[in-house]
Amino acid sequence: MRMATSMTFGLIFLFGAASSYATVVDDQLKAYQAQGAGSFSAQRGEQMWNKDYPDPEEPGKVRNCHVCHGKDFKASGKHAKTGKTIDPLSPSVNRERFTDPQFIEKWFKRNCKWVMDRECTPQEKGDFLMYLKDK
Amino acid sequence: MKNRQPLHSEHSPKLIWDLPSRVFHWLLVACFITAWITHESDRFLYHHVFAGYLFFGLLIFRFVWGFIGSHYARFRSFAHDWKSVTEYLKALLDGSASRYIGHNPAGSWAIFMMLALGILIAISGMLVLGGEEGHGPLKGLISFDVGSFAKEAHETLAALMLLVVFVHVGGVIVESIYHKENLIWSMIVGHKPAPDDTHHVHLYPLLGVILLGIALTSAIVYFRGYVTQTADAPFLAFKHEPLVMNDTWQSECSECHLAFHPSLLPAKSWQSLFAQQNEHFGDDLALDEDTVNALLQYALDNSSEKGATEPAHKITRSVGNGPYPIRITAVEYWKHKHHEIADSMWRSSKVKSKANCAACHLDAKQGWFEDSNMRLPKLEEKVGNK
Repeated sequence: MRMATSMTFGLIFLFGAASSYATVVDDQLKAYQAQGAGSFSAQRGEQMWNKDYPDPEEPGKVRNCHVCHGKDFKASGKHAKTGKTIDPLSPSVNRERFTDPQFIEKWFKRNCKWVMDRECTPQEKGDFLMYLKDK
Repeated sequence: MKNRQPLHSEHSPKLIWDLPSRVFHWLLVACFITAWITHESDRFLYHHVFAGYLFFGLLIFRFVWGFIGSHYARFRSFAHDWKSVTEYLKALLDGSASRYIGHNPAGSWAIFMMLALGILIAISGMLVLGGEEGHGPLKGLISFDVGSFAKEAHETLAALMLLVVFVHVGGVIVESIYHKENLIWSMIVGHKPAPDDTHHVHLYPLLGVILLGIALTSAIVYFRGYVTQTADAPFLAFKHEPLVMNDTWQSECSECHLAFHPSLLPAKSWQSLFAQQNEHFGDDLALDEDTVNALLQYALDNSSEKGATEPAHKITRSVGNGPYPIRITAVEYWKHKHHEIADSMWRSSKVKSKANCAACHLDAKQGWFEDSNMRLPKLEEKVGNK
């Protein structure tokens, strides 16, 4: 019984690792729709990518995606506080991008809360992935 | 008494100091000076330790040579009692002190003191190295606290040694002037004007060259890493035992910053850090419960109290009974160790943040933070149009 379970997990893991980022993104989009999102728009995703939000800690300053990721998602970014290099967002340049659903969700939560001071809605996450998935 | 001779200008130079004794003497001088100037800064601990090992080795050689060496190198030839020391000093004052071919009574006492102090310094140094630093032949045998105690002894003994060195050098200068001969030069070339019936001294050239050869070879072997290092693989002077690592810790933490080893904070600090993982220095870590528990468990199992490294011991000691900071840079020990770092260094593009340990600590990833593996980056000069 135990062996069967671990084998099943092993197979899922293997399959998961072999599946391309496109499959992962499609699954995520489906999941967002299951959570109540409508159809997704790359245009709205682009607007989010370029939008400024007020910095809750320093009045007058703004936060946005570019602070850490840079304006060019095909280039590496830099962590705003620690200066650590962040690999490019674009899945065509960075093959590891959008291949791990847990990683996607963790970082949506972290970054939405930091930039927008709230979590993103499934709709927003879907729009954002629509925009970036073919970049 | 062939040792005691008036100086006659007609005396021809004779070999007094054999080559091994002279090589010993000047290498010991070099070691002591090196050890003295490298003792203040932890960054030169590796060099200090080499000077210490060579110092110790030379002293051991000298003890053997004191029994089997040439006439004036043997302890027997300068084992003067205290009475002859006082007599010699009195005679020095009234201008009637006789000239000794070998060491005079006062000088010989200084020499025996330096030999004894030297051995004690070397032994206490190895106790510090084994206890506080976790290196050397006594590694693992000495507790951190014994090492700390030995450090006090090591420093006091070295200061005493310096004092006796000054007495010795002062004595050499006084005696040189008094008897109008250059004793320093004699210790270099080995010759002194002496009567014909002076003890015959063998030069032992091969042994002298071998002694020098061993010292040079060991220096090359010890420091070769500085020659063979590359920019990508800098030389780590001291290699610590590998610390306990954890894959989840490495991958999760290093997504944003260096995966600071848990030995850099006490257990209670890690507890509060993970209790507020939704407000981790302004960020919500958004970690699931299993991950948090796994990370916390690893942190608690390897916190500073486990004393894996020297900084771990010192951080535990510095934090004491709290408050327990969640920033490593808030620990008093950290502040003390970094108070000399200029603001321009922190702000430079190569450092940028106080959390960027690896900018200077080449072994930050390994969590060792060995003193000698620290290097301040060279700040680029401001480019300006002339």
